[in-house]
Amino acid sequence: MYKGIGGSSGYGIGKIVIIKNDMPVYEIKSPENKENEIKRFLQAVDKFIEKTTKMAEHMRKTAGEKNAEIIEGHIIMLSDPFMQDEIKDKINSGMCAEEAVDKVCEQFIEMFTMTDDELTVQRAADIKDIRLRLLKILTGDRDIDISEVPKGSIIVAKDLTPSMTAGIVKENVEGIITQAGGFTSHSAILARALEIPGVFSVDDITDNARDGMEAVIDGKEGCVILNPSKEEITEYTAKKEKYLKDKEELNKYRNKATKTADSIEIELFGNIGKPEDAKNVKDNDGEGIGLFRTEFLFMENTQIPSEEEQFEAYKKTAVMMDGKEVIIRTLDVGGDKNIPYLGMEKEDNPFLGFRAVRYCLDRKEMYKIQLRALIRASVFGKIKIMIPLVTCVNELREVKVLVEDIKADLDRENIPYDKNISVGVMIETPAASEIADLLAKEADFFSIGTNDLTQYTMAVDRGNSKVAYLYSVYNPAVIRSIKRIISAAANENIIAGMCGEAAADPLLTPLLISFGLKEFSVNASSILRTRAQIAKWTKAEADKVADEVMKCATQEEVYEILKRYQR
Amino acid sequence: MVSKTVVIKNEQGLHMRPAGVLAKEAAKYKSNISLVFNGKKINAKSVMNIIAGCMKCGSQIEVECDGADEQEACESIAVLIESGLGE
Repeated sequence: MYKGIGGSSGYGIGKIVIIKNDMPVYEIKSPENKENEIKRFLQAVDKFIEKTTKMAEHMRKTAGEKNAEIIEGHIIMLSDPFMQDEIKDKINSGMCAEEAVDKVCEQFIEMFTMTDDELTVQRAADIKDIRLRLLKILTGDRDIDISEVPKGSIIVAKDLTPSMTAGIVKENVEGIITQAGGFTSHSAILARALEIPGVFSVDDITDNARDGMEAVIDGKEGCVILNPSKEEITEYTAKKEKYLKDKEELNKYRNKATKTADSIEIELFGNIGKPEDAKNVKDNDGEGIGLFRTEFLFMENTQIPSEEEQFEAYKKTAVMMDGKEVIIRTLDVGGDKNIPYLGMEKEDNPFLGFRAVRYCLDRKEMYKIQLRALIRASVFGKIKIMIPLVTCVNELREVKVLVEDIKADLDRENIPYDKNISVGVMIETPAASEIADLLAKEADFFSIGTNDLTQYTMAVDRGNSKVAYLYSVYNPAVIRSIKRIISAAANENIIAGMCGEAAADPLLTPLLISFGLKEFSVNASSILRTRAQIAKWTKAEADKVADEVMKCATQEEVYEILKRYQR
Repeated sequence: MVSKTVVIKNEQGLHMRPAGVLAKEAAKYKSNISLVFNGKKINAKSVMNIIAGCMKCGSQIEVECDGADEQEACESIAVLIESGLGE
């Protein structure tokens, strides 16, 4: 078995087709007539543009606008008058068109690679692609065209260039394996867009695979099996069928409301780490953002991001979600998240120390910048503020005072904002759970963070393998805590949501429905699956499961019952 | 020669598409047009050089125009960059 990076989910079983993409060989010679040689170069450019325009059109239909744009970029680059002049100069100095193109492209490849800037370095691959195709036109070599591979092919290549993949017929391709490139490589992006299973960065695969060899590919785990046994083929055929069936099943839940089998409506949101992720949530049919972790804004910077920078990020997310709810968690620094320039001291017990809202309330000037940016952005959509790691009512009150101060400032400055902006609490400590009834009287909403709640309730460091067995949300202590939090919210008529990993756990779905959880926030890729799970239960059925679970004394018993009822 | 300072607005900096828009506009003028960034002079009519310049969001750059239509060129290029180059 060969391991690589699983860059596009799904299973493929088929025959290997190796795509060679070697540079054409050309003869280095001085042209007899320089003017004619320049003409020959310009004709090749015209031909290149003509072919590429067609490729882009095809691509737009099969793989979407973004991939078409990459190909069109090649036209923009080759049309650069500066680059063309350099090539003409080289021809005038006595080089043939092939050598001139090769040399000038090499120059730009080096220049782009040396920048050390990820996006620019990626463009070097585009110049390599342009060079290869232009040389092929000049030497009369045939273009590589994946469109002709037979049905059931698994494509193996060192790397796939945008132009090579332009004609790909997805029905014929079982999988894509490349030796180079990672999750963000062009090949991987394209494979995902076409929903073809793909494994990338597989060492020496072009040497080990042979044309016509049978192979199995697992694009989720990133495995490739060459010459699979009968058993392996049976195993992966079953996996593939199940995967395709599940996918089809899940697609039925696209553009549907999230509700239980007896039509209790539930909100289904996505968790994000940066504004761009909101698109992924929308693409997966999320109904809002249940957790926007703002740490990235601080981690990507070398100093505290300005109000304007933060405002733009929050505004962008709000606009992208188009009036749907966006719950933004204020800076949750400390614990395992260190931000060097904040100069936080090393602590013996960082998880029990100076972190999250404790830190922010100590550095009010910094905190106010974030709150002000959030409140200003609220006019562009439906933003809610969420405070992390609350352990006492005072913390909530203090934040609310800051929010009111900022609102008064904004009123004075005539800056618009959403006057009804909600301030809620992330419930993730045993203390907050114990006083959930008190917090519910003053908070606008709850969101349960099950990862920290489990860790703090069980007093367990999940990184410590000796005690990691205790780190389970199925512990009766954690389950009871979740139930109490949700009831406390219901008693005060505020919404209780959940943004921890437990919200996406299909075993827990009946339990959470029974407890009355109103909002599930999960990773984008789990949204449709969670909607499908919720639709399987009526409240009465879920109550029955919950009754049994609440009688359990151990996490093993809880797990066993949930497993038994799993749908 | 005339010049003007502008700030890059594009989230991903001057990558392929905005670089193409900029080079295309610059090509309309007779003047030599350069972008001065980090002490380097970049030919604004060359999309390849613009990309290689790695100008990121928030970068401050100087638009320098020299030639018959320098006034007009500088004005229009500066406005175009500030407007986000069609993004």
